Amino acid sequence: MAVVAASASTTALLNSSTLISQGAEAKVYRSSLHTGSVPILLKHRFAKQYRHPTLDSTLTRSRVVGEARALLRCLRCGVSVPGVRFVDQASGILGIEWIEGRTIRFLLGSGDEGDGAHDGDSEEDDHDVDSLADYEVSKDELMNMVGTEIAKMHLADIIHGDLTTSNMMLSHPSSLNHSLRIQKLVLIDFGLAYTSILVEDKAVDLYVLERAFASTHPASEPLFASVLDAYKRKMGKDWTAIGRRLEDGK
Amino acid sequence: MESFAYPHFSSTVHVALFNNVTNAARLRARIGDAEREAVNFAFVDARLVTSVLHIQTAVTQALLAASQNTLRTKTVHSEVLWALNPSNNITEALRRYGVSDDSTALLVIRIDPLDFLVVQDRMGSVVEGTLAPILELAGLTDWAAVKKYNKLNEDPVINEAQNDPSREHHLIDNIVVSIVAMKSVAA
Repeated sequence: MAVVAASASTTALLNSSTLISQGAEAKVYRSSLHTGSVPILLKHRFAKQYRHPTLDSTLTRSRVVGEARALLRCLRCGVSVPGVRFVDQASGILGIEWIEGRTIRFLLGSGDEGDGAHDGDSEEDDHDVDSLADYEVSKDELMNMVGTEIAKMHLADIIHGDLTTSNMMLSHPSSLNHSLRIQKLVLIDFGLAYTSILVEDKAVDLYVLERAFASTHPASEPLFASVLDAYKRKMGKDWTAIGRRLEDGK
Repeated sequence: MESFAYPHFSSTVHVALFNNVTNAARLRARIGDAEREAVNFAFVDARLVTSVLHIQTAVTQALLAASQNTLRTKTVHSEVLWALNPSNNITEALRRYGVSDDSTALLVIRIDPLDFLVVQDRMGSVVEGTLAPILELAGLTDWAAVKKYNKLNEDPVINEAQNDPSREHHLIDNIVVSIVAMKSVAA
């Protein structure tokens, strides 16, 4: 079985890209596939020296494939996610649509945007003072969008697997064509996503997000409560069982 | 005609849009003939292409396959057609996305570092039609056929957007571009 090794063309592509973040799983680049193209985001799941090469190669391939498939499934179901732009499975690279914007973690002002426990959650350290006001939404509207988008994803039986405020972005209004009514909130990082119809899995997804809110954002209870309110509204009758399961878990 | 450089593949790609094409049947017959230099292009039926990004994404995946020696078809040009078709059936890909007898709008692609003018000249000498700016592609797309071939008619997002054509087209484009990009790992 071939070890995951970047081919010559892949190495050249990465060398021409700008590294914007490095996590334990992957390096994230801003890149361009040809002259004059719009920017794309490349996520390179590099070879892990601490794993057996065969296992590493299998895991890397299956995660690239899994993430690409989860994104397509979301797109088809109308869940707001970046489109897929490039897949080089042999090298462990996934290229997705570039989202011009900020993570919800940043916009809620957790204080620092630093490299946390999750891959790909830090952003360029530029100094423009992006705030919620620039994005033309209130905190409450933002929490509503988060709850609604997660509900759409769960209605499509997709489990994110790593819901945190770093894995959601808000597109900057200047980057959107308003006549198309494109959703501003975008869910990202589907590396651990899978499909499931189980109430349990959806409840766990929400529980993970609740813990993320609690550990990242001061006074998070009212924030998470409005996420849950919007989620309930969108889920309709499916909420009862999930809500009960979420309560049981606490 | 437009040219795009792919430095990491050491390649240049020339793409031209021809409208009002009158010799599609003859072009198709000549391709079948042999790999003759005069028709050494990818001829793509422009009705099935949703955007420049759509065709560029297919070209990129074809270049990637060529660079890794994993082409599924004979040439990098036929690989572009294969990349555009969601199924793994090569004959179907060529029949649907390639030039057919009733094609009137064609995207003609040459993956080669040849000089711009040389390529444009050669394209012009084989295709009888009007060279058009590539962005005119937007007006030529047959959205019903795109939806059918990509099996989008059952997708919730498309049904939700059906009363707003520009939004629907935007969503379809994003989905078909994604389908092409991830074809090598499709379920």
